[in-house]
Amino acid sequence: MLQKKICMLGGFGVGKTSLVRRFVQSIFSETYLTTVGVKIDKKSVAFQDKTVDLILWDLAGEDDIGSFRVSHVRGATGLVLVVDGTRAATLAAALTLRERVEAEFGTMPFVLLFNKSDLVDRWAISDGEINGLRQLGWQIYLTSALSGEHVDDAFRQLASMVTK
Amino acid sequence: MRRLPKEVGSWIYNFFYNEHSIAYLQIDAQLCVAAKGGNVKHYGLSSLRIGQPVTDQLEFMEGLLPCPELPYHMAMVELPSGRVADLHLFADNACVWLLFLDATAERDNRQRLQQKAYEMTLLQERERQLNEKLQAMNEALRESQEGLQREYHRAETLLLNILPASIAERLKSDEQIADNHAEVSVLFADIVGFTERARSVGAVMTLAILNYFFKAADRLSDQYGCEKIKTIGDCVMVVAGLPAARSDHAEALAHYALELRNAVQHERFAGERLRLRIGIHSGPIVAGVIGKKRFAYDLWGETVNLAARIQTSAEPDEIRISDTTRKLLGPDFACDPLAETELRGTGRVQMWRLPA
Ligand SMILES: Nc1nc2c(ncn2[C@@H]2O[C@H](COP(=O)(O)OP(=O)(O)OP(=O)(O)O)[C@@H](O)[C@H]2O)c(=O)[nH]1
Ligand SMILES: [Mg+2]
Repeated sequence: MLQKKICMLGGFGVGKTSLVRRFVQSIFSETYLTTVGVKIDKKSVAFQDKTVDLILWDLAGEDDIGSFRVSHVRGATGLVLVVDGTRAATLAAALTLRERVEAEFGTMPFVLLFNKSDLVDRWAISDGEINGLRQLGWQIYLTSALSGEHVDDAFRQLASMVTK
Repeated sequence: MRRLPKEVGSWIYNFFYNEHSIAYLQIDAQLCVAAKGGNVKHYGLSSLRIGQPVTDQLEFMEGLLPCPELPYHMAMVELPSGRVADLHLFADNACVWLLFLDATAERDNRQRLQQKAYEMTLLQERERQLNEKLQAMNEALRESQEGLQREYHRAETLLLNILPASIAERLKSDEQIADNHAEVSVLFADIVGFTERARSVGAVMTLAILNYFFKAADRLSDQYGCEKIKTIGDCVMVVAGLPAARSDHAEALAHYALELRNAVQHERFAGERLRLRIGIHSGPIVAGVIGKKRFAYDLWGETVNLAARIQTSAEPDEIRISDTTRKLLGPDFACDPLAETELRGTGRVQMWRLPA
Protein backbone atom coordinates (compact mmCIF):
# COMPACT_ATOMS: atom_id res chain seq x y z
CA MET A 1 0.00 0.00 0.00
CA LEU A 2 1.41 3.33 -1.06
CA GLN A 3 0.56 6.08 1.38
CA LYS A 4 2.20 9.43 1.98
CA LYS A 5 1.85 11.95 4.75
CA ILE A 6 1.28 15.48 3.53
CA CYS A 7 1.07 18.59 5.75
CA MET A 8 -0.98 21.70 5.07
CA LEU A 9 1.03 24.71 6.20
CA GLY A 10 0.13 28.38 6.24
CA GLY A 11 -1.05 31.29 8.34
CA PHE A 12 -4.45 31.19 10.00
CA GLY A 13 -7.55 31.62 7.88
CA VAL A 14 -5.76 31.16 4.56
CA GLY A 15 -7.99 28.23 3.61
CA LYS A 16 -6.06 25.08 4.52
CA THR A 17 -9.11 23.33 5.94
CA SER A 18 -11.29 24.55 3.08
CA LEU A 19 -8.83 23.23 0.48
CA VAL A 20 -8.75 19.80 2.10
CA ARG A 21 -12.55 19.71 2.26
CA ARG A 22 -12.79 20.77 -1.37
CA PHE A 23 -10.25 18.15 -2.43
CA VAL A 24 -11.56 15.29 -0.29
CA GLN A 25 -15.29 15.94 -0.10
CA SER A 26 -15.91 18.47 -2.89
CA ILE A 27 -17.66 20.87 -0.52
CA PHE A 28 -17.04 24.42 0.61
CA SER A 29 -18.39 26.54 3.44
CA GLU A 30 -18.20 30.29 3.89
CA THR A 31 -18.17 29.85 7.64
CA TYR A 32 -14.77 30.09 9.26
CA LEU A 33 -14.09 27.41 11.84
CA THR A 34 -10.49 27.67 12.95
CA THR A 35 -8.47 24.49 13.37
CA VAL A 36 -6.84 23.70 16.68
CA GLY A 37 -4.22 20.98 16.72
CA VAL A 38 -4.58 18.86 13.62
CA LYS A 39 -7.22 17.02 11.64
CA ILE A 40 -6.35 14.08 9.48
CA ASP A 41 -8.01 13.16 6.19
CA LYS A 42 -7.27 10.74 3.42
CA LYS A 43 -7.71 10.81 -0.33
CA SER A 44 -6.50 8.49 -3.04
CA VAL A 45 -4.91 9.88 -6.14
CA ALA A 46 -4.74 7.54 -9.10
CA PHE A 47 -2.06 7.70 -11.75
CA GLN A 48 -1.72 5.44 -14.77
CA ASP A 49 0.82 3.19 -13.11
CA LYS A 50 0.01 3.61 -9.41
CA THR A 51 -2.40 4.86 -6.81
CA VAL A 52 -1.25 6.79 -3.79
CA ASP A 53 -3.19 7.50 -0.63
CA LEU A 54 -2.49 10.99 0.58
CA ILE A 55 -2.78 11.28 4.35
CA LEU A 56 -3.53 14.96 4.73
CA TRP A 57 -2.60 16.65 7.99
CA ASP A 58 -4.56 19.85 8.24
CA LEU A 59 -2.59 21.82 10.80
CA ALA A 60 -3.65 24.82 12.80
CA GLY A 61 -2.42 28.05 11.27
CA GLU A 62 -0.80 30.00 14.03
CA ASP A 63 -1.26 33.70 14.51
CA ASP A 64 2.19 33.89 15.99
CA ILE A 65 4.42 31.75 13.76
CA GLY A 66 6.97 31.48 16.59
CA SER A 67 4.58 29.35 18.57
CA PHE A 68 4.14 26.84 15.75
CA ARG A 69 4.87 23.33 16.91
CA VAL A 70 6.63 21.35 14.22
CA SER A 71 6.12 18.01 15.96
CA HIS A 72 3.04 17.24 13.89
CA VAL A 73 5.08 17.35 10.70
CA ARG A 74 7.29 14.38 11.56
CA GLY A 75 7.00 11.70 8.91
CA ALA A 76 5.65 14.04 6.23
CA THR A 77 6.94 13.58 2.69
CA GLY A 78 5.44 16.70 1.18
CA LEU A 79 4.03 20.10 2.06
CA VAL A 80 1.14 22.17 0.77
CA LEU A 81 2.06 25.78 1.54
CA VAL A 82 -1.04 27.93 1.52
CA VAL A 83 -1.16 31.71 1.09
CA ASP A 84 -4.25 33.88 1.25
CA GLY A 85 -4.04 35.93 -1.94
CA THR A 86 -6.01 38.73 -0.33
CA ARG A 87 -3.56 39.09 2.58
CA ALA A 88 -0.05 39.81 1.40
CA ALA A 89 1.54 39.07 4.78
CA THR A 90 0.48 35.41 4.64
CA LEU A 91 3.11 34.75 1.95
CA ALA A 92 5.92 35.51 4.38
CA ALA A 93 4.16 33.38 7.00
CA ALA A 94 4.02 30.35 4.68
CA LEU A 95 7.66 30.70 3.69
CA THR A 96 8.77 31.02 7.31
CA LEU A 97 6.83 27.89 8.23
CA ARG A 98 8.52 25.99 5.44
CA GLU A 99 11.94 27.10 6.71
CA ARG A 100 11.14 25.96 10.23
CA VAL A 101 9.96 22.58 9.02
CA GLU A 102 12.95 22.05 6.75
CA ALA A 103 15.34 23.05 9.52
CA GLU A 104 13.82 20.27 11.62
CA PHE A 105 13.13 17.53 9.07
CA GLY A 106 15.17 18.43 5.98
CA THR A 107 13.95 19.54 2.58
CA MET A 108 10.89 17.95 1.06
CA PRO A 109 8.73 18.53 -2.02
CA PHE A 110 6.08 21.22 -1.75
CA VAL A 111 3.51 23.08 -3.77
CA LEU A 112 2.72 26.74 -3.09
CA LEU A 113 -0.93 27.71 -3.31
CA PHE A 114 -2.20 31.27 -3.61
CA ASN A 115 -5.72 30.63 -2.44
CA LYS A 116 -9.00 32.59 -2.69
CA SER A 117 -8.35 33.40 -6.35
CA ASP A 118 -12.08 34.04 -6.70
CA LEU A 119 -11.71 37.24 -4.65
CA VAL A 120 -10.33 39.16 -7.59
CA ASP A 121 -11.00 42.68 -6.38
CA ARG A 122 -9.35 42.04 -3.03
CA TRP A 123 -6.29 40.34 -4.54
CA ALA A 124 -3.15 41.66 -2.90
CA ILE A 125 -0.28 39.76 -4.56
CA SER A 126 1.30 41.08 -7.73
CA ASP A 127 1.83 38.90 -10.80
CA GLY A 128 5.45 39.99 -10.70
CA GLU A 129 5.92 38.49 -7.27
CA ILE A 130 4.30 35.21 -8.27
CA ASN A 131 6.35 34.99 -11.46
CA GLY A 132 9.49 35.69 -9.47
CA LEU A 133 8.76 32.65 -7.31
CA ARG A 134 7.96 30.54 -10.37
CA GLN A 135 11.42 31.41 -11.68
CA LEU A 136 12.82 29.55 -8.68
CA GLY A 137 11.29 26.43 -10.20
CA TRP A 138 8.55 26.26 -7.59
CA GLN A 139 5.23 24.63 -8.33
CA ILE A 140 2.73 27.42 -7.83
CA TYR A 141 -1.06 27.34 -8.15
CA LEU A 142 -3.73 30.00 -7.90
CA THR A 143 -6.50 28.10 -6.22
CA SER A 144 -10.00 28.69 -4.99
CA ALA A 145 -11.50 26.38 -2.44
CA LEU A 146 -14.76 28.16 -3.20
CA SER A 147 -14.88 27.36 -6.92
CA GLY A 148 -12.49 24.42 -6.81
CA GLU A 149 -10.23 26.00 -9.39
CA HIS A 150 -6.80 24.30 -9.61
CA VAL A 151 -7.31 22.54 -6.26
CA ASP A 152 -7.11 19.01 -7.72
CA ASP A 153 -4.23 20.04 -9.98
CA ALA A 154 -2.19 21.20 -7.03
CA PHE A 155 -2.75 18.06 -4.94
CA ARG A 156 -2.13 15.79 -7.92
CA GLN A 157 1.09 17.61 -8.68
CA LEU A 158 2.31 17.13 -5.12
CA ALA A 159 1.19 13.47 -5.16
CA SER A 160 3.30 12.88 -8.25
CA MET A 161 6.25 14.72 -6.70
CA VAL A 162 6.22 12.66 -3.49
CA THR A 163 5.93 9.34 -5.33
CA LYS A 164 8.71 10.00 -7.79
CA MET B 1 10.18 12.44 43.28
CA ARG B 2 8.29 12.30 46.53
CA ARG B 3 6.19 9.18 46.79
CA LEU B 4 2.49 9.77 47.23
CA PRO B 5 0.33 7.75 49.59
CA LYS B 6 -1.28 4.81 47.81
CA GLU B 7 -4.75 6.33 48.18
CA VAL B 8 -3.78 9.62 46.59
CA GLY B 9 -1.94 7.88 43.83
CA SER B 10 -4.87 5.70 43.01
CA TRP B 11 -7.31 8.61 43.19
CA ILE B 12 -5.21 10.55 40.77
CA TYR B 13 -4.95 7.51 38.52
CA ASN B 14 -8.72 7.02 38.48
CA PHE B 15 -9.37 10.69 37.98
CA PHE B 16 -6.94 10.92 35.09
CA TYR B 17 -8.11 7.69 33.55
CA ASN B 18 -11.75 8.74 33.55
CA GLU B 19 -11.06 12.30 32.53
CA HIS B 20 -8.80 11.35 29.63
CA SER B 21 -10.14 7.97 28.55
CA ILE B 22 -6.72 6.45 28.31
CA ALA B 23 -5.97 3.83 25.65
CA TYR B 24 -2.66 2.33 24.61
CA LEU B 25 -1.07 0.33 21.86
CA GLN B 26 2.13 -1.60 22.05
CA ILE B 27 4.04 -1.66 18.80
CA ASP B 28 6.80 -4.17 18.21
CA ALA B 29 10.05 -3.85 16.32
CA GLN B 30 8.35 -4.98 13.09
CA LEU B 31 5.99 -2.01 13.52
CA CYS B 32 3.05 -4.31 14.09
CA VAL B 33 0.45 -3.96 16.82
CA ALA B 34 1.62 -6.21 19.63
CA ALA B 35 -1.02 -5.34 22.20
CA LYS B 36 -3.84 -2.90 22.84
CA GLY B 37 -5.76 -1.90 25.93
CA GLY B 38 -7.56 0.72 27.96
CA ASN B 39 -10.53 2.53 26.44
CA VAL B 40 -9.80 1.51 22.83
CA LYS B 41 -13.46 1.77 21.90
CA HIS B 42 -13.43 5.46 22.75
CA TYR B 43 -10.94 6.08 19.95
CA GLY B 44 -12.50 3.67 17.48
CA LEU B 45 -9.56 1.28 17.85
CA SER B 46 -11.56 -1.85 18.71
CA SER B 47 -11.06 -3.45 15.33
CA LEU B 48 -7.28 -3.11 15.38
CA ARG B 49 -5.75 -6.48 14.63
CA ILE B 50 -2.87 -7.71 16.71
CA GLY B 51 0.15 -8.75 14.70
CA GLN B 52 -0.71 -6.54 11.73
CA PRO B 53 1.32 -3.49 10.60
CA VAL B 54 0.24 -0.39 12.47
CA THR B 55 0.45 2.07 9.56
CA ASP B 56 -1.90 -0.08 7.46
CA GLN B 57 -4.48 0.19 10.20
CA LEU B 58 -3.84 3.67 11.52
CA GLU B 59 -3.14 6.02 8.67
CA PHE B 60 -2.06 8.84 10.91
CA MET B 61 0.91 6.71 12.00
CA GLU B 62 2.30 6.90 8.46
CA GLY B 63 5.91 8.06 8.57
CA LEU B 64 6.08 8.33 12.35
CA LEU B 65 7.84 5.06 13.07
CA PRO B 66 10.54 4.27 13.69
CA CYS B 67 10.87 7.48 15.62
CA PRO B 68 14.44 8.53 16.40
CA GLU B 69 13.31 10.93 19.04
CA LEU B 70 11.47 9.21 21.87
CA PRO B 71 9.52 10.04 23.94
CA TYR B 72 7.50 12.01 21.38
CA HIS B 73 4.35 14.05 21.89
CA MET B 74 1.74 15.29 19.46
CA ALA B 75 -0.99 17.50 20.88
CA MET B 76 -4.64 17.48 19.89
CA VAL B 77 -4.81 15.16 16.96
CA GLU B 78 -8.35 14.74 15.69
CA LEU B 79 -8.76 11.08 14.83
CA PRO B 80 -11.04 9.72 12.10
CA SER B 81 -13.48 8.76 14.88
CA GLY B 82 -13.89 12.44 15.67
CA ARG B 83 -12.18 12.13 19.04
CA VAL B 84 -9.30 14.42 19.76
CA ALA B 85 -6.29 12.84 21.43
CA ASP B 86 -2.92 13.85 22.77
CA LEU B 87 -0.57 11.18 21.46
CA HIS B 88 2.42 10.08 23.45
CA LEU B 89 5.07 7.71 22.10
CA PHE B 90 7.68 6.26 24.35
CA ALA B 91 10.17 3.43 24.09
CA ASP B 92 10.39 0.25 26.12
CA ASN B 93 13.18 -2.10 25.09
CA ALA B 94 12.35 -3.19 21.53
CA CYS B 95 8.79 -1.94 21.74
CA VAL B 96 7.14 1.43 21.41
CA TRP B 97 4.09 2.39 23.40
CA LEU B 98 1.52 4.67 21.87
CA LEU B 99 -0.71 6.39 24.38
CA PHE B 100 -4.03 8.08 23.64
CA LEU B 101 -5.22 10.78 26.04
CA ASP B 102 -8.54 12.40 25.24
CA ALA B 103 -8.22 16.16 24.64
CA THR B 104 -11.57 16.84 23.01
CA ALA B 105 -12.82 19.18 25.73
CA GLU B 106 -9.55 21.04 25.89
CA ARG B 107 -9.45 21.36 22.12
CA ASP B 108 -13.00 22.68 21.98
CA ASN B 109 -12.12 25.21 24.66
CA ARG B 110 -9.03 26.39 22.86
CA GLN B 111 -11.02 26.41 19.65
CA ARG B 112 -13.54 28.87 21.06
CA LEU B 113 -10.81 31.22 22.26
CA GLN B 114 -8.75 30.97 19.10
CA GLN B 115 -11.84 31.51 16.95
CA LYS B 116 -12.55 34.82 18.71
CA ALA B 117 -8.95 35.93 18.51
CA TYR B 118 -8.50 35.11 14.81
CA GLU B 119 -11.82 36.57 13.82
CA MET B 120 -10.87 39.79 15.57
CA THR B 121 -7.49 39.87 13.86
CA LEU B 122 -9.02 39.16 10.47
CA LEU B 123 -11.56 41.91 11.02
CA GLN B 124 -8.84 44.36 11.96
CA GLU B 125 -6.77 43.38 8.94
CA ARG B 126 -9.80 43.81 6.71
CA GLU B 127 -10.54 47.18 8.24
CA ARG B 128 -6.98 48.30 7.62
CA GLN B 129 -7.18 47.10 4.02
CA LEU B 130 -10.43 48.93 3.46
CA ASN B 131 -9.01 52.07 5.03
CA GLU B 132 -5.99 51.91 2.77
CA LYS B 133 -8.25 51.42 -0.22
CA LEU B 134 -10.42 54.32 0.89
CA GLN B 135 -7.37 56.50 1.30
CA ALA B 136 -6.09 55.57 -2.14
CA MET B 137 -9.51 56.32 -3.58
CA ASN B 138 -9.65 59.66 -1.81
CA GLU B 139 -6.23 60.47 -3.13
CA ALA B 140 -7.26 59.53 -6.67
CA LEU B 141 -10.45 61.54 -6.29
CA ARG B 142 -8.52 64.57 -5.09
CA GLU B 143 -6.13 64.24 -8.00
CA SER B 144 -8.86 63.93 -10.56
CA GLN B 145 -10.65 66.86 -8.96
CA GLU B 146 -7.51 68.93 -9.28
CA GLY B 147 -7.15 67.73 -12.84
CA LEU B 148 -10.72 68.73 -13.51
CA GLN B 149 -10.12 72.10 -11.92
CA ARG B 150 -7.07 72.60 -14.14
CA GLU B 151 -9.06 71.53 -17.19
CA TYR B 152 -11.81 73.89 -16.22
CA HIS B 153 -9.39 76.77 -15.82
CA ARG B 154 -7.83 75.94 -19.15
CA ALA B 155 -11.21 75.82 -20.82
CA GLU B 156 -12.09 79.10 -19.19
CA THR B 157 -8.94 80.83 -20.40
CA LEU B 158 -9.55 79.41 -23.85
CA LEU B 159 -13.11 80.65 -23.74
CA LEU B 160 -11.91 84.07 -22.67
CA ASN B 161 -9.44 84.04 -25.53
CA ILE B 162 -12.10 83.55 -28.14
CA LEU B 163 -15.04 85.29 -26.47
CA PRO B 164 -15.49 88.59 -24.71
CA ALA B 165 -15.53 88.07 -20.94
CA SER B 166 -19.16 89.04 -20.41
CA ILE B 167 -20.25 86.67 -23.17
CA ALA B 168 -18.18 83.87 -21.72
CA GLU B 169 -19.92 84.38 -18.37
CA ARG B 170 -23.34 84.17 -19.97
CA LEU B 171 -22.30 81.13 -21.92
CA LYS B 172 -21.20 79.37 -18.74
CA SER B 173 -24.60 80.09 -17.24
CA ASP B 174 -26.19 78.39 -20.26
CA GLU B 175 -27.91 81.44 -21.66
CA GLN B 176 -28.86 81.57 -25.31
CA ILE B 177 -26.88 84.33 -26.87
CA ALA B 178 -27.95 86.43 -29.80
CA ASP B 179 -28.00 90.15 -29.24
CA ASN B 180 -28.88 93.13 -31.33
CA HIS B 181 -26.45 95.95 -31.11
CA ALA B 182 -27.66 99.15 -32.73
CA GLU B 183 -24.40 101.07 -32.64
CA VAL B 184 -21.09 99.41 -33.30
CA SER B 185 -18.11 99.81 -35.60
CA VAL B 186 -16.59 96.87 -37.42
CA LEU B 187 -13.04 96.67 -38.73
CA PHE B 188 -11.38 94.24 -41.11
CA ALA B 189 -7.66 94.20 -41.76
CA ASP B 190 -5.54 91.89 -43.89
CA ILE B 191 -2.04 91.60 -45.22
CA VAL B 192 -1.26 92.92 -48.68
CA GLY B 193 -0.17 90.19 -51.09
CA PHE B 194 -0.37 87.54 -48.40
CA THR B 195 -0.90 84.47 -50.57
CA GLU B 196 1.99 85.06 -52.96
CA ARG B 197 4.40 86.09 -50.23
CA ALA B 198 3.44 83.17 -48.04
CA ARG B 199 4.23 80.87 -50.93
CA SER B 200 7.64 82.44 -51.44
CA VAL B 201 8.82 82.40 -47.80
CA GLY B 202 7.37 79.08 -46.66
CA ALA B 203 5.15 78.02 -43.78
CA VAL B 204 7.41 78.74 -40.83
CA MET B 205 8.12 82.31 -41.77
CA THR B 206 4.48 82.90 -42.68
CA LEU B 207 3.28 81.63 -39.35
CA ALA B 208 5.73 83.91 -37.58
CA ILE B 209 4.37 86.90 -39.48
CA LEU B 210 0.76 85.95 -38.81
CA ASN B 211 1.57 85.43 -35.19
CA TYR B 212 3.09 88.86 -34.94
CA PHE B 213 0.14 90.47 -36.69
CA PHE B 214 -2.53 88.72 -34.65
CA LYS B 215 -0.73 89.32 -31.39
CA ALA B 216 -0.59 93.03 -32.18
CA ALA B 217 -4.31 92.92 -33.00
CA ASP B 218 -5.01 91.27 -29.63
CA ARG B 219 -2.82 93.61 -27.65
CA LEU B 220 -4.41 96.70 -29.18
CA SER B 221 -7.92 95.29 -28.59
CA ASP B 222 -7.16 95.28 -24.89
CA GLN B 223 -5.67 98.72 -25.09
CA TYR B 224 -8.58 100.38 -26.91
CA GLY B 225 -11.43 98.37 -25.41
CA CYS B 226 -12.30 96.67 -28.67
CA GLU B 227 -13.04 92.98 -29.25
CA LYS B 228 -11.19 90.85 -31.73
CA ILE B 229 -13.95 88.63 -33.02
CA LYS B 230 -12.02 86.24 -35.20
CA THR B 231 -9.32 85.72 -37.78
CA ILE B 232 -10.04 84.40 -41.22
CA GLY B 233 -6.82 83.36 -42.92
CA ASP B 234 -4.67 86.48 -42.79
CA CYS B 235 -7.61 88.73 -41.97
CA VAL B 236 -8.71 89.97 -38.55
CA MET B 237 -12.18 91.17 -37.63
CA VAL B 238 -12.45 93.61 -34.76
CA VAL B 239 -15.48 95.37 -33.31
CA ALA B 240 -15.97 98.31 -30.98
CA GLY B 241 -19.17 98.96 -29.00
CA LEU B 242 -19.55 95.38 -27.99
CA PRO B 243 -20.60 93.67 -25.77
CA ALA B 244 -21.09 96.85 -23.73
CA ALA B 245 -22.35 99.74 -25.82
CA ARG B 246 -20.18 102.87 -26.05
CA SER B 247 -20.89 106.13 -27.87
CA ASP B 248 -17.29 106.55 -29.07
CA HIS B 249 -17.08 103.20 -30.82
CA ALA B 250 -16.09 104.74 -34.14
CA GLU B 251 -13.31 106.78 -32.58
CA ALA B 252 -12.01 103.88 -30.57
CA LEU B 253 -11.80 101.74 -33.67
CA ALA B 254 -10.17 104.56 -35.69
CA HIS B 255 -7.45 104.83 -33.04
CA TYR B 256 -7.14 101.09 -33.10
CA ALA B 257 -6.70 101.06 -36.88
CA LEU B 258 -4.00 103.69 -36.79
CA GLU B 259 -2.08 101.86 -34.10
CA LEU B 260 -2.41 98.57 -35.88
CA ARG B 261 -0.94 100.06 -39.01
CA ASN B 262 1.89 101.57 -36.97
CA ALA B 263 2.53 98.32 -35.18
CA VAL B 264 3.37 96.43 -38.36
CA GLN B 265 5.09 99.05 -40.40
CA HIS B 266 8.60 98.05 -39.37
CA GLU B 267 8.06 94.36 -40.01
CA ARG B 268 9.23 92.83 -43.25
CA PHE B 269 7.51 90.06 -45.14
CA ALA B 270 9.22 88.37 -48.11
CA GLY B 271 11.70 91.20 -48.53
CA GLU B 272 9.12 93.98 -48.47
CA ARG B 273 7.46 96.07 -45.82
CA LEU B 274 4.54 94.33 -44.14
CA ARG B 275 1.50 96.33 -45.22
CA LEU B 276 -2.17 96.11 -44.36
CA ARG B 277 -5.46 96.99 -45.93
CA ILE B 278 -7.93 98.19 -43.33
CA GLY B 279 -11.64 98.94 -43.67
CA ILE B 280 -14.18 100.22 -41.15
CA HIS B 281 -17.93 100.64 -41.22
CA SER B 282 -20.44 101.43 -38.49
CA GLY B 283 -24.04 100.39 -37.88
CA PRO B 284 -26.31 97.86 -36.28
CA ILE B 285 -25.33 94.18 -36.09
CA VAL B 286 -26.46 90.95 -34.49
CA ALA B 287 -23.93 89.25 -32.27
CA GLY B 288 -24.19 85.73 -30.92
CA VAL B 289 -22.67 82.42 -30.20
CA ILE B 290 -23.12 79.51 -32.53
CA GLY B 291 -22.14 75.93 -32.13
CA LYS B 292 -22.86 73.52 -29.32
CA LYS B 293 -19.49 71.87 -28.83
CA ARG B 294 -17.13 74.46 -30.19
CA PHE B 295 -18.16 77.99 -29.45
CA ALA B 296 -17.69 80.75 -31.91
CA TYR B 297 -18.77 84.24 -31.17
CA ASP B 298 -19.60 86.02 -34.36
CA LEU B 299 -21.29 89.04 -35.84
CA TRP B 300 -23.86 89.17 -38.62
CA GLY B 301 -25.61 91.83 -40.60
CA GLU B 302 -25.23 94.26 -43.50
CA THR B 303 -22.83 96.40 -41.46
CA VAL B 304 -20.45 93.49 -41.29
CA ASN B 305 -20.70 92.72 -45.00
CA LEU B 306 -20.10 96.32 -45.99
CA ALA B 307 -17.14 96.68 -43.63
CA ALA B 308 -15.58 93.66 -45.30
CA ARG B 309 -16.14 95.10 -48.79
CA ILE B 310 -14.70 98.43 -47.81
CA GLN B 311 -11.63 96.69 -46.50
CA THR B 312 -11.14 94.77 -49.75
CA SER B 313 -11.33 97.95 -51.73
CA ALA B 314 -8.70 99.70 -49.61
CA GLU B 315 -5.22 100.42 -51.00
CA PRO B 316 -2.08 99.07 -49.30
CA ASP B 317 -1.40 100.99 -46.06
CA GLU B 318 -4.81 102.66 -46.33
CA ILE B 319 -7.45 102.80 -43.60
CA ARG B 320 -10.67 103.21 -45.53
CA ILE B 321 -13.83 104.14 -43.68
CA SER B 322 -17.47 104.48 -44.67
CA ASP B 323 -19.36 107.76 -44.69
CA THR B 324 -21.36 106.59 -41.67
CA THR B 325 -18.21 106.02 -39.67
CA ARG B 326 -16.72 109.34 -40.68
CA LYS B 327 -19.79 111.20 -39.45
CA LEU B 328 -19.36 109.57 -36.07
CA LEU B 329 -15.76 110.67 -35.76
CA GLY B 330 -15.06 113.94 -34.05
CA PRO B 331 -13.13 116.87 -35.52
CA ASP B 332 -9.86 115.21 -34.43
CA PHE B 333 -10.01 113.13 -37.54
CA ALA B 334 -9.67 115.15 -40.74
CA CYS B 335 -10.46 112.52 -43.31
CA ASP B 336 -9.65 112.65 -47.01
CA PRO B 337 -12.61 112.01 -49.26
CA LEU B 338 -12.25 109.31 -51.89
CA ALA B 339 -14.00 109.20 -55.21
CA GLU B 340 -17.36 107.46 -55.02
CA THR B 341 -16.70 103.83 -55.77
CA GLU B 342 -18.85 100.95 -56.93
CA LEU B 343 -18.81 98.14 -54.30
CA ARG B 344 -20.01 94.70 -55.22
CA GLY B 345 -23.58 94.07 -54.09
CA THR B 346 -23.98 97.57 -52.67
CA GLY B 347 -23.71 100.11 -55.42
CA ARG B 348 -21.83 103.39 -55.40
CA VAL B 349 -20.52 104.37 -52.02
CA GLN B 350 -18.91 107.46 -50.57
CA MET B 351 -15.78 106.47 -48.62
CA TRP B 352 -13.02 108.24 -46.77
CA ARG B 353 -9.40 107.75 -45.95
CA LEU B 354 -8.21 108.09 -42.38
CA PRO B 355 -5.03 110.15 -42.38
CA ALA B 356 -1.99 109.19 -40.38
N1 LIG C 1 -13.79 33.30 -1.20
C1 LIG C 1 -13.03 32.29 -0.71
N2 LIG C 1 -13.03 32.08 0.59
C2 LIG C 1 -12.26 31.06 1.06
C3 LIG C 1 -11.48 30.26 0.20
N3 LIG C 1 -10.84 29.36 0.95
C4 LIG C 1 -11.21 29.58 2.23
N4 LIG C 1 -12.08 30.60 2.29
C5 LIG C 1 -12.70 31.16 3.51
O1 LIG C 1 -11.67 31.60 4.37
C6 LIG C 1 -11.97 31.34 5.72
C7 LIG C 1 -10.89 30.50 6.35
O2 LIG C 1 -10.84 29.24 5.74
P1 LIG C 1 -10.23 27.95 6.47
O3 LIG C 1 -10.21 26.87 5.47
O4 LIG C 1 -10.92 27.69 7.74
O5 LIG C 1 -8.76 28.47 6.76
P2 LIG C 1 -7.60 27.72 7.56
O6 LIG C 1 -6.35 28.02 6.83
O7 LIG C 1 -7.95 26.30 7.74
O8 LIG C 1 -7.63 28.50 8.92
P3 LIG C 1 -7.02 27.99 10.34
O9 LIG C 1 -7.53 26.62 10.55
O10 LIG C 1 -7.55 28.98 11.33
O11 LIG C 1 -5.56 28.07 10.21
C8 LIG C 1 -13.33 30.64 5.72
O12 LIG C 1 -14.33 31.59 5.98
C9 LIG C 1 -13.47 30.13 4.30
O13 LIG C 1 -14.82 30.09 3.88
C10 LIG C 1 -11.52 30.56 -1.21
O14 LIG C 1 -10.88 29.93 -2.04
N5 LIG C 1 -12.31 31.59 -1.61
MG1 LIG D 1 -8.13 25.12 9.38
